[in-house]
Amino acid sequence: MHTDARRVEAGDIPASTSWPVELKSVSVTYPNGTKALQDVSLRIEPGEMVSIVGLSGSGKSTLIRTINGLVQATDGTVTVGPHEITGLSGRRLREARGHIGMIFQGFNLAERTDVFHNVLVGRFAHSSPFRTLLGLPTKADRELALRALDSVGMLEKVWARANALSGGQKQRVAIARALTQQPSIMLADEPVASLDPPTAHGVMRDLRRINGERGLTVLINIHLMDLARQYTTRMIGLRDGAVVYDGPAGAATDADFEQIYGRPIQSDDTLDARA
Amino acid sequence: MTGLQTPVKLPAQTELQTPTKPSRLWSTVFAIAVGAVVLVAGAGLKITWSDLPAMPGQIAHYLRLMFEAPNLEKLPRALFETWRSISMAWLGAIMCVVVSIPLGMLAANGVGPWWLRTALRGVFAVIRAIPEVIIALILLTVTGLTPFTGALALGIAGIGTQGKWVYETIESVQEGASEAVRAAGGNTAEVTRWALWPAAAPTLMSFALYRFEINIRTSAVLGLVGAGGIGSMLSNYTNFRQWDTVGMLLIVVVIATMLMDAVSGAIRRRIMEGAKVRDVARSS
Repeated sequence: MHTDARRVEAGDIPASTSWPVELKSVSVTYPNGTKALQDVSLRIEPGEMVSIVGLSGSGKSTLIRTINGLVQATDGTVTVGPHEITGLSGRRLREARGHIGMIFQGFNLAERTDVFHNVLVGRFAHSSPFRTLLGLPTKADRELALRALDSVGMLEKVWARANALSGGQKQRVAIARALTQQPSIMLADEPVASLDPPTAHGVMRDLRRINGERGLTVLINIHLMDLARQYTTRMIGLRDGAVVYDGPAGAATDADFEQIYGRPIQSDDTLDARA
Repeated sequence: MTGLQTPVKLPAQTELQTPTKPSRLWSTVFAIAVGAVVLVAGAGLKITWSDLPAMPGQIAHYLRLMFEAPNLEKLPRALFETWRSISMAWLGAIMCVVVSIPLGMLAANGVGPWWLRTALRGVFAVIRAIPEVIIALILLTVTGLTPFTGALALGIAGIGTQGKWVYETIESVQEGASEAVRAAGGNTAEVTRWALWPAAAPTLMSFALYRFEINIRTSAVLGLVGAGGIGSMLSNYTNFRQWDTVGMLLIVVVIATMLMDAVSGAIRRRIMEGAKVRDVARSS
């Protein structure tokens, strides 16, 4: 299968801390009766760069949130690295989440707080509550936060308040926050949907670099065909909560996308057409 | 699209497809019922309507007694009592806010466990139902006739509304930052400290000052039951029917209240809008 080929490609990159993800017949039904996911089974190997495509309402957000337990599967099991997420709660779930980085469409920073303390959120699962509540990091945590900011080129903004940043800068800070966790897997829920095209490419490049340099498993929810093809290697198509496509992203044809979307391609399905 | 074309295509005589007018039966019935209640309520009271024409004259008479020549002799005492009232209001506001912020946060959905939320909301509701004056009267039996009793009464009585404001503010904070903290493995305390608190803090500070403004007005009422301050003085001189001094006191109360309202209101505006102005300046 295509996954084997990519593992050979990524063979020379150390991926010892990178985790696989496995979903076994996962279904999610929300309390209001909406069936968001129906019998989804997937295996993602360590170090893969995967896009999950589908229209809004197709279950992408739900799928990515079952991986860190923000949404609990109603049925089936989700396993991430050594953790069976579906069986965890409380302290042990938080500990597992500490190794799963996540970025969001809306950046989700604390707007009135400075960049430094926003990035330190990434250390919460790894440090004592006493220190996190007072905002007093250890030297090591401080170092990790600053290094993460530096790696996304945001070190000079470390004392700026989050609401003084542009959208692209906010998403970079959010990436730094996730990297500060020293994650074993990175989730991204529509990371560029609120950004303009040049900034969107910048954020996608950051994610690809994280995947390449650190060998991290990266999962990106995205509805833009061109970005999925350009930046990811494997593509999973969702429609009405079910997997309808799983294959190499670069080779996915317009027909494949039409099949995933269940409608003809429109101009706003690509980033460059929107520009 | 078709809606725009229709008028052009169709001849003018065509009958319009007007939507059926919704029935107003129930709102009419309701309005009549409310009107009936008002009439019945008025009839139940023994009001001597014949006294009504004399009222304007009576009011004018007392206004003249109070304000024609306000007695300034007791002004220094009045200012001192006003100061005590403001201190009472301030102390009460601090006690109220210090208690209601943590309790209100615990009562917010997603912060405290359900049994604690229910219990706290119950306590807030009960406190809201008891007027400050009643709380002051109960406290008087324990702590005696001091301004501290007034401050304590204000502090306790305010918790009901203040706590409700706090949990409603916390619940109206956008979900995003909390979700990010949870996704990074943060616990509820960390979510509260680093996602909810930064977003809610300016509003909560503004509410704290608002509590102070409310307390200044309420402290005058508390004086009536003997809790000290300008209210007590006002109550005493009304009982002695020394209208010229009462007039002076009323002027002091109104001016002091308006002054504190204006100062506190200006600070509140600065808290709520100051941050925004600074953001605009920074991002440009």
